[in-house]
Amino acid sequence: MAQTDSVKSPTGAADVTALDPARDGIPEPFLSQPIRYIDRTRAWYQALGYEPYRWPTFDTVPFQPLRKPLADSRLALITTAAPIRPDAGDQGPGAAYNGAAKFFEVYSSPVDDPADVRISHIGYDRHHSTAEDPNTWLPLPRLHEAIAAGRLGSLAPRFHGVPTLRSPRTTMSEHAPDIVARCQADDVDVALLVPV
Amino acid sequence: MSLVSRALEEAGIPTVVLGAAKDIVEHVGVARFAFSDVPLGNSAGLPHDAESQRSALECALTLLETAPGPRTTWQTPLRWNGGDHEWKRDFNNLGQLDAEAIARQRASFEEQKARARGANA
Repeated sequence: MAQTDSVKSPTGAADVTALDPARDGIPEPFLSQPIRYIDRTRAWYQALGYEPYRWPTFDTVPFQPLRKPLADSRLALITTAAPIRPDAGDQGPGAAYNGAAKFFEVYSSPVDDPADVRISHIGYDRHHSTAEDPNTWLPLPRLHEAIAAGRLGSLAPRFHGVPTLRSPRTTMSEHAPDIVARCQADDVDVALLVPV
Repeated sequence: MSLVSRALEEAGIPTVVLGAAKDIVEHVGVARFAFSDVPLGNSAGLPHDAESQRSALECALTLLETAPGPRTTWQTPLRWNGGDHEWKRDFNNLGQLDAEAIARQRASFEEQKARARGANA
């Protein structure tokens, strides 16, 4: 708690979650703010001896207005979760980080007979979450309910998985166009993306 | 995933991102972002809590319908542990990294990089 006096007011919040929590402490008022993952990850990579990962950023953001009511729309669900592979070690609830479970190409899986997709290949919060319930990252049952209730028109026949390879260039040049093509082939009206 | 959202929007498909890393998604910049202030891995709802999962999805769907323009962020109603924020202290906490953990993390990271390079070759 030696350096908590460096955090004096909410105006100092810009850096507070970049602090080392064990060393510096985080006063409760700042804990109510969202975690600053970019700062924490940069500090983490530096501690491991790597250059910090640089997330891309853009001056402009594309925006497509809704074309028709959701009740008449076909939705594509997109995930970063990975289909379980028998040869890739422990991928179930509570599994340690498992790089072998990563995938490297876009995949698709039928929404009516979905692959069992898990998140052991991703740095999710393992302290506070055991990844037992796939509904926390793949809301397929909830989407089926929304369709039954008339809230949403329909689901595309398959959902899609996007690799997480820490390469924005590969995502932009290969995976994103692949996803776009698959969504166009399925004639979807809207897309729900749930990153783990 | 934010990059995929951007590509879909550019192709004329409206999107909404339902995610938990607020700063990252907003740094990249997306059309619509439903933010869940919960540990990574739970942005679509709390485990074994269908009602919370419905509330997160409904937030995302309503955002799809009503966002006035790009970079619209809403927060879903999800509350972890009833609103206790203690979980935020622990993610990538450098205070919990000893030499052995650093070596283990480095080995894992190097293996991933090698595999990623192989896949992209």
